[in-house]
Amino acid sequence: MLAIKTAHLSDETIVELVRKSDQELYSVLIKRYQKKLLRYANYLINDEDLAADSVEEAFIKAFINLNSFKTSMKFSSWLYRIVHNQALNLVQKNKRHQSTDQILEFASSLDLEAEMISKEEIKRAKKCLSQIPLIYREPLSLFYLEDKSYEEISDILRLPTSSVGTRIRRAKLILKKICQNN
Amino acid sequence: MSKQLKKTSINLEKNIMDKVKTGAVRMKPRWYFIFGSLALSAGLAGIATVLIFVNNLVFFLLRQHGPMGQWRLQQILDSFTWWLPILALIGIFLGIKLLQKYDFSYKKNFKLVIGGLLISIILASALIDYLGFNEIWSKRRPMRQFYPKWQQAEQGNLELPAGRGRMRRQ
Repeated sequence: MLAIKTAHLSDETIVELVRKSDQELYSVLIKRYQKKLLRYANYLINDEDLAADSVEEAFIKAFINLNSFKTSMKFSSWLYRIVHNQALNLVQKNKRHQSTDQILEFASSLDLEAEMISKEEIKRAKKCLSQIPLIYREPLSLFYLEDKSYEEISDILRLPTSSVGTRIRRAKLILKKICQNN
Repeated sequence: MSKQLKKTSINLEKNIMDKVKTGAVRMKPRWYFIFGSLALSAGLAGIATVLIFVNNLVFFLLRQHGPMGQWRLQQILDSFTWWLPILALIGIFLGIKLLQKYDFSYKKNFKLVIGGLLISIILASALIDYLGFNEIWSKRRPMRQFYPKWQQAEQGNLELPAGRGRMRRQ
């Protein structure tokens, strides 16, 4: 019922309502983003329980700090940023992350973009994705699997848009190498 | 999405909203963030001010003073207040850390922002030195205390104690 009433409202408008009058509307924001965030956290952590913990913690942190959110920005980017930080904290705590300085250097002129359009390729890419270093996995999963723009990824990862492009390009090369080997 | 993940997302909403409804988690008030933002700006402005002053003081101390000033480089180096450049370096480090807290830090070329800030500080310090503020400050309170005693003595503001190799002031 609540979801129908608020379906036409933007995230930023709901945030304003939660801050000013109705805290229960926060559940609408949780409904809108929980699945996407669980999926994203799972790409980063590769552990469904830990991903769920980090998303729950992120929603709580977002609620506590809701008054610091500027409605001129995109709420989704802000939320993804919090989940990203939570997930990285968990990764560091559990020491399950791969070495971020492991950069694979190889030459390739092939573009993976066309391949990744089909669902089958996305499924396969997800499998390969878990094997690439975290700094490349983050922008690649946000761009191809979460449909985020370079601008949004820049806001989430706190990187200049040029660096986002560079990392995605490099990530595609690494992914191609890994997928070909598998 | 796996079954486990679907189940998790259902529980997630309930868990969080229970905490919100029971007041176990509360929103921090708006003033808390306004105060934090003001403190951040004040901290950055404070660090920039200290850096300008410290840098200006370094320029002032390195300048040749009085007749035969060029022969006194060794004396300047011997009595140089080394804590000043150390303080400047700590200030630069803290300033960069504070700048990183701002939203624009990742949208702009951050190296350029830092470079611009450092050049502005050096130019402002050089301007203060050039305009002769050091001569005024080294004679008057409360700034006088920051200037080395030998500098004050040279300008006739401090009487040096008599001792071996020192002449009494007439």
